[in-house]
This record gives sequence, C-alpha cells and structure tokens, in this order.
Amino acid sequence: MTRDWWKHMVLILGTIIVLAPFYMMVSYSFKSPGEIDRGEGGFFGRQEMMIDPRCVALRQPDRADIEAARARFAGQDDASVQASLLAETEADCSMRPVVFNYSKAFTEAPLVRYLLNGVIVTVSIFLIQIVVALPAAYALAKLKFWGRDAVFGLVLFCLLIPVHAIALPLYIGLAKLGLTNTYAALVVPWTISVFGIFLMRQFFMTVPDDLIDAARMDGMSELAIVWRVMLPTAIPALLAFAIFSVVAHWNDYFWPRIVVTGNRDLFTPPLGLREFKGDGDGSFFGPMMATATVIVTPLIVAFLLAQRRFIEGITLSGMK
Amino acid sequence: MVAIDPSLAADVTKPKADNRQARTGWGLAAPALILMFLILLVPIIAAGVLSFTNYSLGNPSFDWVGLQNYERLFTRSTYEKMYVATFTYVVTVVPISVGLGLGAALLVHSLGRIGDIYKTIYFLPVMATLLAMAIAWEFMLHPTIGMVNRTLEMACGTWFEVIPFFADGCAEGFPLWLGDRDYAIWVVCFIGIWQGFGFNMVLFLAGLTSVHRELYHAAEMDGARSGWERFRLVTWPALGPTTVFVVTISCIRAFQVFDTIEAFWPQGGGPNKSAYVMMFAIFEKGIQQNLIGIGSAITMLFLLFVMFLTLIQRWLVERKVHY
Repeated sequence: MTRDWWKHMVLILGTIIVLAPFYMMVSYSFKSPGEIDRGEGGFFGRQEMMIDPRCVALRQPDRADIEAARARFAGQDDASVQASLLAETEADCSMRPVVFNYSKAFTEAPLVRYLLNGVIVTVSIFLIQIVVALPAAYALAKLKFWGRDAVFGLVLFCLLIPVHAIALPLYIGLAKLGLTNTYAALVVPWTISVFGIFLMRQFFMTVPDDLIDAARMDGMSELAIVWRVMLPTAIPALLAFAIFSVVAHWNDYFWPRIVVTGNRDLFTPPLGLREFKGDGDGSFFGPMMATATVIVTPLIVAFLLAQRRFIEGITLSGMK
Repeated sequence: MVAIDPSLAADVTKPKADNRQARTGWGLAAPALILMFLILLVPIIAAGVLSFTNYSLGNPSFDWVGLQNYERLFTRSTYEKMYVATFTYVVTVVPISVGLGLGAALLVHSLGRIGDIYKTIYFLPVMATLLAMAIAWEFMLHPTIGMVNRTLEMACGTWFEVIPFFADGCAEGFPLWLGDRDYAIWVVCFIGIWQGFGFNMVLFLAGLTSVHRELYHAAEMDGARSGWERFRLVTWPALGPTTVFVVTISCIRAFQVFDTIEAFWPQGGGPNKSAYVMMFAIFEKGIQQNLIGIGSAITMLFLLFVMFLTLIQRWLVERKVHY
C-alpha cells in the first residue's frame, strides 16, 4: 500500500476529472437558479423555499379574482386585496429547488413519454435482432449447405460497415417509403445486427453436435431446435449482447435526430433533452440537469448493480 | 424413442438429408440475408450512385453531374476545414485515449482488488448518454458561471500566475472554450478522450489477465529487473493483438464523432467551422440542406476511410498474431 501511493494519486486525479461532470450534473439538478448563477450552496444547495416565477405569472390575480375574494378580505380596498392574493399565489408557487427542478423536468416536456419511447425502441430493436440473428447464426454454425462460406464471408464484410455512416441513403429510403417520423424509422436500420450473427455463430460453434442430433431424433424441427435447444444454451452470450445493444440504442442520438423531426410523441430521451436545451433560457439549467440526470440514471444504476456483466457486454466487440 | 442404427440411417438418407439441410440452412439464414442486403448493401450502392447526381428529396428528377460532387470535396475550403477538423480529432483522440487506457489498465491491474473501484469509475462515461454529458460539459465550460473557469480563477493571485496561461487568464479573463476557435476542437477532443479511455482500459485489462505469470518470472531470470524492462519484453508484446484492436475501434469511433459537436453548435460546426467533422457534414449537407449528391459523396469518402482502417487492422492481426 505504501509503495503504491503514487499510483493512487494518479488514479484519484483521473477520478476527479472523470466524475466532475457527473457531480455537476447532479448538483445543479438540486440547486435553485440563483445558487447556480452565483456558484454557491455546495453539492445539495441550501434548499431554501423558492418561488416559481412562471407559476406566479400564470396565476396573476385579475379583476374577477379580486371580486371573488372580496368577501374573504372584508373591509379592504382593491389594492390590498390584490396584494394579499398575490402573497397567497406566491405561497402556493413556492417550493424547494429540488422539487422545482424535477417537477419541471417532468411537466415542461413529456419526459415520461420520452422514457417510454426509449424503452419501446431499445426493446423492439433487441427482440428483432435476436429473431433475425439466431436462426442465421445457427445455420452458419451447425448446418452444412452449399454457399454457407459465401454467406459467412458476407457477414464478415458487413461487419466493416458502421450503420451510422450510411445514415443518409437509409434516410432517403425511409423518406421514399414515407416512414420518417414513425417508430419503424427508429427501429428498422438496427434490425439486422451483423455483429450479433457473428457473435452467436461463434458461440454456437462450441455447442456439441450430440445435443442437436438428440433433438432431431426427438423429431424437433430445425426452427424448434433454434428456440428450444440453442437459445437456452446461449443465455450468457445473449445477456451480454442484450446489454451491448440496449446501451448503444438508449444512448444513440444521431439516428433519432435524423429520422424524427418535430414529432414530440416519438422523441427518445436524448432528443427530449436536446429540445429542452434548445428552448431553455438561462434560468432552466436546474430542470435541464434534472432531465439529464433522469436519462442517465437507469443505465448507470444497472451498471453499478451488475458491473461484471455490463463490462463483459460492452467489451464484447473485443472478443474476436 | 425408436432405436435406429445410426450408420444405416445415415447411409440411406444421406443425399436426402443433405438436400433438406441445405434448404433449411438457406431458409434460416434468409431473413438475415435479405435484411443485410436491404439495410447495409443497397444503401452503399445507392450512396455511390447518388454521389454522381444532384438529387434532392422532393424533386421529381435529377441530373447526372459526373465527378462534380467529388471535385467540390477536394477544392472548396469548407471541406478542407472538414478534413482538418476530422483528422485533428482522430489523430488527437486515438493516441491519447489508447495511451491513457493502457496506463490506467497497468496501474489498476497492479493494484489488484482495490483497483476495481477505479475500473468502475472510469467506465461510467462509457455508460452515460453522451449527449447528456456533453450538455453537462457545456455548463462546466461556461465562460462566466462554469466550474472550470471558476476553479481556474481561484489560482489568481497565487504563484500559479507565473505560468503565462494563468497570467493572461487572470488579466483578461479565461478562455471562452467552446466559443473560441482556437480552443473549440481541443475541447471536443478532450471530451472524446474523457468518454473513451475507460472503454480502452477495460479492453487492455482483459488483455492483461491473459498474460502468463511465468513469462514475468522467465524475464526476471533473464535479467529483466526493472519494471520498464518487464513491460517492454513481456507485457507490450503480449498486448500486441489487443492494441491493434483497441486502436482500430478507437479510430472508427473517433471518425464517427457527432453528438458533442451537434450539442455544442447546432448550426455550422463550431466557431469558424473549426469543429466541422465529417459526420456533421453529412448531417448538415445531406439531411438539413437536402443536398443529397454532396452528402452521398462525403458518405462514400467516409466509408472508404473506415474500411481502409479495418482492413489495415485485419492485415496487422494476421501478420503478427503469434507471440
């Protein structure tokens, strides 16, 4: 330990730089606009009651309100009734900064909808990838047929193509089909995972042939073998691939940015955050960082709970 | 189950079974094959064809313009800036993130169990949504209320002012970072490194665990006493294939930088187009401005770079896979 102190020094310095933006993101999501502006309040802020200016502006007492409230403030003139009403509104509109930031995050934009879209898109991408890739991987690993090597060669070639790079022609194709601004546009380009085919093929190669022969003797069809024999043996590899796929598509910004324009109902979490940034004035730093925290948290928490599996999944691409 | 003599059954049904297997084989691979063609190969061909036209979405017809789009790519100063920005990014981010990844892996590995905590922390940026973190960095780098300049200002009035950077900063204000064309691309590079080195570290750690301990003993017997000697003689050669892989994957990821640039400068790609990288150019020209021809030409050039890199990697791996 004493000999290693310099290593810890270096690594702790790295830790500070790595964690700084996370620290700031979470801290700003707790603070009031004033504290963010002046840079005070430590990590949690002082959490003093603050008044939401927009809420007050919306509920400015008008003539009718004053008439209605006259009975409650008997014997006062209009100006003082208005003043007391204003004070009531302000009391109603005041809240802790942390409550303000997070409630704004969920009410200013349909954040729940965005999160739901994120789940829908990532889950459907993963399921379709599996439905397409597993039978192909099985055929390439365990069936002998004319042209198999050519098919596998094609898979190896397609591994070279980053899907983001061909975004433009894909976008044109989808636009021609009238599919932009649909869930289909968000999912379709990712339905084929060449990497998934490659990975599962390598895994299936290690499954003993006897297992498959036994299943054939039992009269199982080849498709049934894929789903009832091969799939259960491949659970660890599938789990790693699931993590790989879900992380990539939950965090993806480029592709949704291209095919979803303006239709908020289809926004994925990163798009929602981007829009928040677009129309936020300076006082919206707090709610925006709250949104960012909400979007980043699910994967970070899942990662902290199952680190080993996540690191395995994300570094899968290194397993060649 | 009926008992069948396997050899007999095989003899009788062999041609038939082969035939059946061929059909099921193609049948099972068909959906994947069709999608591979439609989603990966057809678009490349389409981009190749469109790069010779002046097509725009919504136009009923288009003209063949020959090599005009490519000619523009090599003559206009905008595209010169695009190459400069892209290659500055790749050439900066790849070596530094690979170097830091290797350094961190060696340190973490030598610490044993305690090192795992650093591994977890350094991996966090890989998991986090890059767009969200880019916005967080943007606030950190805010010229007046950002944490970075506030921290730098704390050094004013101390001996730090001996350093010219601090002297200037304290006198005239610290840099605007994202608004300054001298700093913009470097800030983007820094965030790229920040995000990617943890990934490289984990790949190197996986490589390190496969180095046999006996090799270190053997090297010590042969007189490799210092840590550096052991690294040079054992660790580095053993990590060869990992390094080739890490460098390639870092290059491909670096070429695809987009999220940070779009988050910081939705229009124009940075002050004076100093951060106008290729992916952003494809997005701006092809999708926002609907200049499909020129966008396709950039796409083709991009694919060429990426495929070239991967082929170099495969060649390197095949050449020195044996250690």
